[in-house]
Amino acid sequence: MKEYGRFLWRCFRLSFVGDWRYYSWMLLLTVVALFGLNAYANQFVHGLITTGMTDQVSWGLYISNFTYLVGMAAAAVMLVIPVYIYKNKDLHDLVIFGELFAVASIIMCMLFVTVDLGRPDRFLHLMRLNLPTSMLAWDVIVLNGYLFLNLHICGYLIFCSYKRRKPTRKFYIPFVFIAIVWAISIHTVTAFLLVGIGGRPFWNNPIIVPRFIASAFSAGPAFIILTLQVIRRSSSYKVTDEALGLLRTIVTIALTINQFLLISELFTELYANTAHSISLQYLLFGLGDKNDLVGWIWPAMIFNTIALVLLYIPRSTTMMRTNVACVLLIVGIWIEKGMGLIIPAFVPTPIGEVVEYTPTGNEILITLGIWATGLLIYTIFVRITIPVLSGELTYDRVYRTEEEVLPDPISHPKGE
Amino acid sequence: MPRWGMTIDLSKCTGCASCMVACKVENNLPIQKPEVILQSRDISWMEILPMKEGEGFEGGHAEEHSDHEEPSRMRYLPRPCMHCDDPPCVKVCPVYATTLDKDGIVSQIYDRCIGCRYCTNNCPYTAKLFVWNTPEWPDEMMAGINPDVSVRPKGVVEKCTFCHHRLQRASEQAKAEGRPIKDGEFLPACLEVCPTQAILFGDLDDPSTPVARAAASPRAFRELEDLGTKPKVFYLKEDY
Repeated sequence: MKEYGRFLWRCFRLSFVGDWRYYSWMLLLTVVALFGLNAYANQFVHGLITTGMTDQVSWGLYISNFTYLVGMAAAAVMLVIPVYIYKNKDLHDLVIFGELFAVASIIMCMLFVTVDLGRPDRFLHLMRLNLPTSMLAWDVIVLNGYLFLNLHICGYLIFCSYKRRKPTRKFYIPFVFIAIVWAISIHTVTAFLLVGIGGRPFWNNPIIVPRFIASAFSAGPAFIILTLQVIRRSSSYKVTDEALGLLRTIVTIALTINQFLLISELFTELYANTAHSISLQYLLFGLGDKNDLVGWIWPAMIFNTIALVLLYIPRSTTMMRTNVACVLLIVGIWIEKGMGLIIPAFVPTPIGEVVEYTPTGNEILITLGIWATGLLIYTIFVRITIPVLSGELTYDRVYRTEEEVLPDPISHPKGE
Repeated sequence: MPRWGMTIDLSKCTGCASCMVACKVENNLPIQKPEVILQSRDISWMEILPMKEGEGFEGGHAEEHSDHEEPSRMRYLPRPCMHCDDPPCVKVCPVYATTLDKDGIVSQIYDRCIGCRYCTNNCPYTAKLFVWNTPEWPDEMMAGINPDVSVRPKGVVEKCTFCHHRLQRASEQAKAEGRPIKDGEFLPACLEVCPTQAILFGDLDDPSTPVARAAASPRAFRELEDLGTKPKVFYLKEDY
């Protein structure tokens, strides 16, 4: 236990060590996070009146980012399945970066839900959940469960590597398999949270659930592809082209399914053109002069389509096309599975009121702050994990950067 | 036990909004600034929804009409909480902050509510309203705050309770007299002030009550009945 405390302390110190690029990145994230914190303090004092939400559109930017990030978190499973079920060697040493991203995403999800609550001081009321009927209650359980599963798996593997010890399979393999099912469940439950609302036909649509998962399994691994290339360039950690190629294939298949389901949804709703399609019409074409989302959803659909075309062109050695495709689809799906999914369901309301939603500056600052916090956490995770997994930082070895910058981190190491 | 319900006769409603005002005073609803009202964040447990014949709400999604058509007639739809028998808000609340009571009233427990607004989203009638800012009243009005009704803090969801505090008072009186509560002993504030007597209220399970007879009339309909929420507020169509 003492050793574990010392491990955490050394990780904490290590998170303050890096080159100028690392410092600049962390400084930027810290500044944005603090601006977000300040904006949240403002919201906490004055109430949710500081947001753009209304009686008619009572979920906005926060819940939009929440639904998107639940997907990003579930995407770690796209690395876990090839490694633990199909015994893929290329991804074996990289799977942990997916799991760590899941942890960071879930933390962001929880922050987004917290800032969306009118009374966050009453979070202890969640100790008595309305089960089994409330999907939000289930969401609390599955998100927390997924967070702890991934924290345990990553923490255990990294600590074993730090101790230069072979991990005991029974302490993590069962949890890996539980986490695979659990990852699907977090996205399914979050989708059920929306599709179960009978009065809003835009959500009350079974295709939302598979589309949720397909879009998650393309945007999440796309983010991992970009991260792994940053890791490859900024450290000596081994990231093979084959690993990136496999992730690229996963993204391509998931995005193809997502686009197919999109066409299927568009056809069903627009061809029949019943009263149920009115929210989709608002999203795509606007209702009269109310058309705030039209300028967002079309670029999103075009981005995703271009990304799909780029991914079907055979991979080049520079990964340039893949990277462009990844950026396009991360943004495209952020719009489509964020604001594009949440807001139209409220416009019009079931009794016909049409009220549009525009986030306020304060709301946007809080959102940016949470993203910065999440990326800060993920950067620290990656910063610590690379030297530990590559054997440069262990319980009995001083890491070279520590030696240069920090005074004697292991004064009396055990076992020496 | 009675099952409390309401009927609103649309042929009698003139849209005068006195029910809205009475509700606001009775239930300590805050006086909002005009900009907050324009932002669609006012709290009215009883709301008069204006609509033109054949169209949606004013400012809402309206069908295209050509110029030579006859100008539409205005109609008004008073909208309290529907106190559904299968309330969609109750099943989604993660913390049991909203419940369906034995007497059919859908109640909101303000002290339990965490302000997630899942219930407001699942209510198809926009009858559950979130308190966006700290409620305020002009100093002169503070003396008029109703001591029987709690003042809600910012950050919770609130709604029409069918003037539940009046029911409590009537129930206690009946209990003290050792008899069950009777139809007509308890009336909500909106009904009392309606100048055209468009609103009826009482026990829906007792077929002899005026409200039960009105609810059984061929003119009666309920809003968005297809959703299966089984509202206990019935509207009576205009009789032509």
